[in-house]
Amino acid sequence: MRRIVARLSPLLVIGTWLLMACGAPTSSTTGTGATTSSTSSDTTTPATMTTTGGGATASSATTTEGGTTTNSATTTGGTTALSGDPVPLGVAVAETSNTAALGQEQVIGVTIAEKYFNDHGGINGRPLKIIRQDTAGDENGAINAFNALINQSKVLGIVGPTLSQQAFAADKIADTAKVPVVGPSNTAKGIPQIGPYVARVSAPVAVVAPNAVKAALKQNPQIKKVAVLFAQNDAFSKSETGTFQQTITKTAGLQLLPVQTFQTTDTDFTSQATSVLNQNPDLVIISGLAVDGGNLVKQLRELGYKGLIIGGNGFNTPNIYPVCKAQCDGLLIAQAYSYELVTPVNTDFRKSYQDLQKREPGQLAAQAFAGVQVFVEAMREVDKATPLKGLSVEAARTAINDQLLKGKYQTPLGPISFTPEGEVIQNDFYVAQVKMNADGATGKFVLLK
Amino acid sequence: MAVFFATYGSLIVAMLLAAMLALSLYLPLLAGQLSLASPGFYALGGYVAAIISTRVVPFDSGAQAYIWRMGTHEVARFSGPLYPVSLLIVEMLVAGVLSAVLAIVLGLPALRLRGIYLLLATIAFVQILQVVTQVLDLTGGAIGIFNIPQPFASQLGYAWVVVPLLLLSAGFVYRLERIRIGRAFTAIREDELAAAAMGINLAYHKVLAFTMGAVLAGIVGVISAHSINTWNSRQGTFDAGITYLAFVLIGGSRTFLGPIIGGIVLYALPEVLRGLAAIPGLPLALAQLLKDGRLIMYGLLLVLGTIFFPQGLIRPNLFRHRTVEATPRKIEQQ
Amino acid sequence: MFAVGYTLIFSILRIINFAHAAIFTLGAYFTYALTGSAFGYNGLLKNSALPIHLPFLLAAVVGAMLAGLVAIVIERLAFRPLRNRGADPLLSLVSSLGVAVVIVNVIQYLVGAENYSYPAQPYGNLPTAINFGLGSQRIPVRTVQIVIFGVSVVIMLLLTYWLNRTKTGKALRAIAEDATTASLLGINTDQLILLTFFLSGMVGGLSGALIGSSVSIAGPYFGISFGLRGLAVIVLGGLGDIPGAIVGGVVLGLAEAFVPVQYIAYKDAVAFAVLFLMLLLRPQGLLGRAELQKV
Repeated sequence: MRRIVARLSPLLVIGTWLLMACGAPTSSTTGTGATTSSTSSDTTTPATMTTTGGGATASSATTTEGGTTTNSATTTGGTTALSGDPVPLGVAVAETSNTAALGQEQVIGVTIAEKYFNDHGGINGRPLKIIRQDTAGDENGAINAFNALINQSKVLGIVGPTLSQQAFAADKIADTAKVPVVGPSNTAKGIPQIGPYVARVSAPVAVVAPNAVKAALKQNPQIKKVAVLFAQNDAFSKSETGTFQQTITKTAGLQLLPVQTFQTTDTDFTSQATSVLNQNPDLVIISGLAVDGGNLVKQLRELGYKGLIIGGNGFNTPNIYPVCKAQCDGLLIAQAYSYELVTPVNTDFRKSYQDLQKREPGQLAAQAFAGVQVFVEAMREVDKATPLKGLSVEAARTAINDQLLKGKYQTPLGPISFTPEGEVIQNDFYVAQVKMNADGATGKFVLLK
Repeated sequence: MAVFFATYGSLIVAMLLAAMLALSLYLPLLAGQLSLASPGFYALGGYVAAIISTRVVPFDSGAQAYIWRMGTHEVARFSGPLYPVSLLIVEMLVAGVLSAVLAIVLGLPALRLRGIYLLLATIAFVQILQVVTQVLDLTGGAIGIFNIPQPFASQLGYAWVVVPLLLLSAGFVYRLERIRIGRAFTAIREDELAAAAMGINLAYHKVLAFTMGAVLAGIVGVISAHSINTWNSRQGTFDAGITYLAFVLIGGSRTFLGPIIGGIVLYALPEVLRGLAAIPGLPLALAQLLKDGRLIMYGLLLVLGTIFFPQGLIRPNLFRHRTVEATPRKIEQQ
Repeated sequence: MFAVGYTLIFSILRIINFAHAAIFTLGAYFTYALTGSAFGYNGLLKNSALPIHLPFLLAAVVGAMLAGLVAIVIERLAFRPLRNRGADPLLSLVSSLGVAVVIVNVIQYLVGAENYSYPAQPYGNLPTAINFGLGSQRIPVRTVQIVIFGVSVVIMLLLTYWLNRTKTGKALRAIAEDATTASLLGINTDQLILLTFFLSGMVGGLSGALIGSSVSIAGPYFGISFGLRGLAVIVLGGLGDIPGAIVGGVVLGLAEAFVPVQYIAYKDAVAFAVLFLMLLLRPQGLLGRAELQKV
């Protein structure tokens, strides 16, 4: 026992020290011009992914952005020193449990957002402070995290939780306490209807589905028979597959083969793949998440399927590359976010993400960024009308919620706004095709027009 | 104090519910039956509550009332935005009866198995139930059933139901251990063959113990569904069952206080670590360690707990000042 | 394959070892590290990689050894103290659960929760699938699965031979019968149990690496999702029966394959329904003989 502890403790010490460095209050820093860069990336020194404080200098997030003027819609001045009490915003996502793969992407998104907005003037001069609480993967965890943020940290709003099922449990708590919540990845039907304080930036209906099918038909006009598979234990996949199936039978008039299901926890898809192969489809449409969906694609290809494959929105993450590798090539993907969107804010976001992660950003991080962004912009507007400092926590929360639903935002997702109910209105959706590089390990999404 | 209750209201309720779930696992264990079926009945109870409160007696926003209709005929009407507590009790009764029926049907064949085999059979039951509820439309599929109405204005309001229920079930088990049926359970646990030789009806008593655990789990599911607003197939899984088992074993499996204390302490542990991290003035390093490493610590404490308290935290002779150590219990493996 | 390691411990010690699933995961991660691949984007060891680049097969073997060593450490820390106190075997179940929680979360703390995969084509230039069907009714099987199946059969044969024919194996079976008597007869029980854990950890780690090569490492919870299925398999094969574990795996796989496409949503339920019926009808397993009740 002692030996293990002895061996682990240096790691823990290093870890906590780093976390401490990032979590330190911002009073001594100006929040701009990051001084260190972590280009020496194969040392064991972890670059700081878990920034909790505002604009820490050691953060490797933006090495070049510095004080140069980025002409983002939200810029209020590049290098103003922030002062005053930090404005607390809560983030409650799944940092542990088997949902952590999604949650850690969201953490990166909000971390970048915190630094970005503090570099751009904070909340009219006051720093934004993100307070994170882990929800883990279950409903009770989300409730506990929300309660801690609302009652202990007195946050003015919450971005979270990760899963729709968690949102049904925890958003109710926030709504009752009159704390605005923005869901970064809750896509199930009925989330904004939980109450007036609940909104989301994750587009629910797969508006992209018809576009993806159209793109497939363009590449191969001979398509007749279509096989559809979806992950039955994933809320989004289930609603997305409905849209896909409707598109095939109603809009495109194609033949729909018997629909098959799998679980996001499955790894072996031999029976589904074999059955698909024996029906000789010309197109396969899969709604699932990165690992299970990627494996299904890989196994379909390995077993000899040659036709086109469409992946749902759950595939829209670079995490699929390591799963299906060379077999990802040619995969069509329905996207609610494309890193190729050229807008000032997305260019900055993409750059920060690349510097921090050495790869292209995915949808989850972008949506988490957008979740923070709508809060920041709403807070700025409210603060302009009546300084937040003079308002009680309760009044500030209500004012921010009202403002949040009224505003229009230029986010990395493109321009978005909300319905009075809190549903996101997003115009830009994309269809991309995966192009794998020769090494079979990395690739890119190529936008289809 | 107000902040404390606002922050921890749901946690306190969940802790007490966890204690009762541990108790529901303890009941079959009283008769020597190692069953992990409780999560299944817990899930079932939750679905009963979810279906009754959102489908059978849904809230009519026009009339501002919960209305039970059969066809077009209105059977009953309960006004107000809060869900009537009387209906909550009805749900608990329905869940209890359903759980009992299912437990008897399941228990009669399954309880012929012993030890690990019974454990696995009950795990299989939980898994089957999980898949079925995940697929059926009645249970809302993967998303589950949401917007389950609240019978109380605040989370702490649930204490009005949970505390009496916990006291009632604890009292019931305390009493049970001291009457004839309870002694028969103990006899079966200690030596099945000898118990049978003394004329104890094995099948009857085993199924009885199993059913009592199932009913309790079903009732807890009802409350839980309301308190977390939503219910889906991720509730009451195999993993949860293992956790309840840990509650019982760490708490102590020889007296009813063991599972209750075990449930409360172990359930609260990760949240206590989270709360500790929030104490102002704590060195940041320690706070971060408490926050990010809380699950690692939880795991370590499970290991240390079993090693240093092999009989559990609470032993029967703890309060009796006896020096006789309880004899280590052996579960039949064959 | 996964089940073989499980079974080994169960047959000797009659304990269900939840940490086995975590060791399976560790084996996969060790192998990944040993192939010299870089660790991802999150966690403490972000963007770090070992300076060595072993070919996949060698890395898998070394990774399995390391997993075996971890299993030894776990035995010393979490199981032996309980055994020495004569504690309830159920407690070791809780203790192993604690170990699993620790391992999974340490992995996430160190290297993050994302998925990884080994460098392309770990098995060289073999075709990706082989067709066993005739004519239009194709029954293609992926090469990786054939490799995994082959390796498991070889390991099963080796272990069976070792348990039944060698002196050490006989000593182990004596421990399985009655540990106290075995130690009275001069068998070093602690050492042999340690050996059992090492072998079981190795087999677990190796299966983690191989399955990882088939479906990529899905994150720190990789092994846990196999845990329950592994349990089902060893029950089908008869608890503690090593050849049975393989047969159980095949039977379970076939049962799932025969679920009609329309009802495939219920596939997992079918697996456990088979398990349930099996327990009621033939608790001794497919290959097992009925054991006498000890009175």
